[in-house]
Amino acid sequence: MKRITKDVDLSFAILLSFCVYVFFAMNIEVFFSHNISFAILERFAVLGLVGLALTICIIAGEIDLSIGSNAALCAVIVVKLTDPLGAPLAMLIGLSVSTLIGATQGFVIAFIRIRAIVITVGTLMLLRGVALLIAEEKTVMLTDFRVPDFITTKVLMYFSPASLTVIFIFICVGIFMRYTKYGREIYAIGGARKEALTAGIPLRRPMIIAFALSGFCAGFAGTVIGLKSGTAQGLGLQYLLLAGTVAAFVGGVSILGGKGGVLGAAIGALTVNFLNTGLVFYALQVHFVQLFTSVLLVIVIVFQTMSRIFDSRQARKSLLETIDERKTALLEKKRTVLGK
Amino acid sequence: MSTVIQESQQPISAKFLQFYKDRTLLAILLSLFAVMFVYGIFFTDNYLTITNFKAIIRDAALYGIMAIGLTFVTLSGNFFLLSLKETASICGVTFAMGMATGFGSPDLAGNFMVSLLAALAVGVVSGVIQGYFVGMGGNPIVVTLGGAGILYGIGAWWSDNLVINFTRPHDAEWLGTGSFLGLPSITWSFILIAIAAEIVLRHTNFGRKVYLVGANKAAGKATGHENFSMAIIVFTICSVCCAFVAVAFVAQMDSAQSNYFSAEFGSSGDMTILVIATVMVGGNSIMGGYGSTLRTSLGAIFIAMVDNMMVLQGFNSGPRIVGVGLMIVFSIIVFGLFAKGSRAQE
Repeated sequence: MKRITKDVDLSFAILLSFCVYVFFAMNIEVFFSHNISFAILERFAVLGLVGLALTICIIAGEIDLSIGSNAALCAVIVVKLTDPLGAPLAMLIGLSVSTLIGATQGFVIAFIRIRAIVITVGTLMLLRGVALLIAEEKTVMLTDFRVPDFITTKVLMYFSPASLTVIFIFICVGIFMRYTKYGREIYAIGGARKEALTAGIPLRRPMIIAFALSGFCAGFAGTVIGLKSGTAQGLGLQYLLLAGTVAAFVGGVSILGGKGGVLGAAIGALTVNFLNTGLVFYALQVHFVQLFTSVLLVIVIVFQTMSRIFDSRQARKSLLETIDERKTALLEKKRTVLGK
Repeated sequence: MSTVIQESQQPISAKFLQFYKDRTLLAILLSLFAVMFVYGIFFTDNYLTITNFKAIIRDAALYGIMAIGLTFVTLSGNFFLLSLKETASICGVTFAMGMATGFGSPDLAGNFMVSLLAALAVGVVSGVIQGYFVGMGGNPIVVTLGGAGILYGIGAWWSDNLVINFTRPHDAEWLGTGSFLGLPSITWSFILIAIAAEIVLRHTNFGRKVYLVGANKAAGKATGHENFSMAIIVFTICSVCCAFVAVAFVAQMDSAQSNYFSAEFGSSGDMTILVIATVMVGGNSIMGGYGSTLRTSLGAIFIAMVDNMMVLQGFNSGPRIVGVGLMIVFSIIVFGLFAKGSRAQE
């Protein structure tokens, strides 16, 4: 509780998600019901993961633009291999491929010491091409659509195996980021990289871990999407980047790095899910959903920038006040000395 | 004095080596050009024809103009815009609206100047707004990612996501399909814009400011050149370039739709990434302060050459995208390794 009240961005995130939820719950009768909650959690299984992936990268002070392509590649691999190998083995192969891709990216970034946006723009295109190559420029489909039924069965009224796994991943990553040395290293290189490196933290290990985690999360999102719909395309899933970025920023990460957390990512992803699910009821076209999601992003950015400017002004003001106080104190001292 | 004499006495091979050392990336790019060219001559049919070279430069012109605009943004240290194709699409929709309906007044329908000015104005407005947010301290990637969604949403909303047609003959034909001295107008525009951009960057006060702010933001601020005004100006330049490309493209197609630039486009399937790739393959430092529009133009022609060769060899879109992607990653890694310890670090 103390954490929430202390962190302005996190409390803003909770307020925003609450507002969005209440808005739709007031306007749509069925929004506050069991089935809709199940649907929201189902969407959370995908968007939450992408938001988590971007959150980890942004905490490390970098941004991973290639998650859409990574997810698409993983989806193509999983859907293509499910027929000959069975779903579990296909999932294993797909996830290890995307984790490996993420780790390689992290290694290259730490080895050459460039910004991640530079290299991930390249891999965005490269992975997209590889996904197209593997899919042979067609839409890959499952032959037996009953195979992936196991991830969509309802458990405990609100959950499905997919969303339960995602919540489990969230808890694990949360504990990892908060209570282990490796997780705190990621915060350190994001918040103050020069200081962290001077203090002896290696750049390579946290960077590789952060990007491997992000690749894993993106791959898992791709797997869930691919298996649920039974199809996958090489050029698909590019919308995940926008949705994930919105989720991460609503969740209170700062682009400067070192700030934010898994709890924020979950809240941000839920906010985006409320918005997307609510807009379904108005039967709007796709571009309106994109428009409103972007507006949400702009609101959050403006709030963050304003609060940053406000903070720096406040700090300056208090600094000036202390200077004034000391000046008057000095003057009084001088006066008393001279008066004597 | 003595150093001058020594330099002039150096043998040509040493001079060449020095040049190679100073401009490693440009030299690598030129050698790659040569390799591609020789390979193309020997292993591809119909490669060494004038028609084919015209086609290459014409392809390069479309994303080259946008990339020249983006070079200003990159040089000034503001990374890049992720809203390039969305800016282009909304400007294209504006232009087509003007040509088809005249924005509601029948007198203006088909009036080229009004439509062009409207499209450019939309570009200016979107550039100024995004530049304002970036100048205020927002991250360029995140701001333009949000801007992309909003611009696309507004464009699709305005045009109802329909294709807007206007019939020939219209006033914009000279820009779309016309040609002058055997070269298409868009190629001429590319050449003129490239020369103009190079002159602005090298020989004007503004150009030097762009390099200064990009190379060292703190020094720029200390000398009175803040990133705030710079961000607004460079974002506007880039958006206007996008608007111009959109107008030329729409004039050629006689129609516009909000996802003209989003659907499979050229070798990449995505105009934005292709333009960013062009800037990177040219060897500009993405951290700012180092590079030139000449490099960008060469990068555009290089990508067009590779793409053209792969098309002539009968490759599908998958291998072509992999090819361009490999080129970007290769150029980033080479640049990073060469600039290690100096510019690549913050």
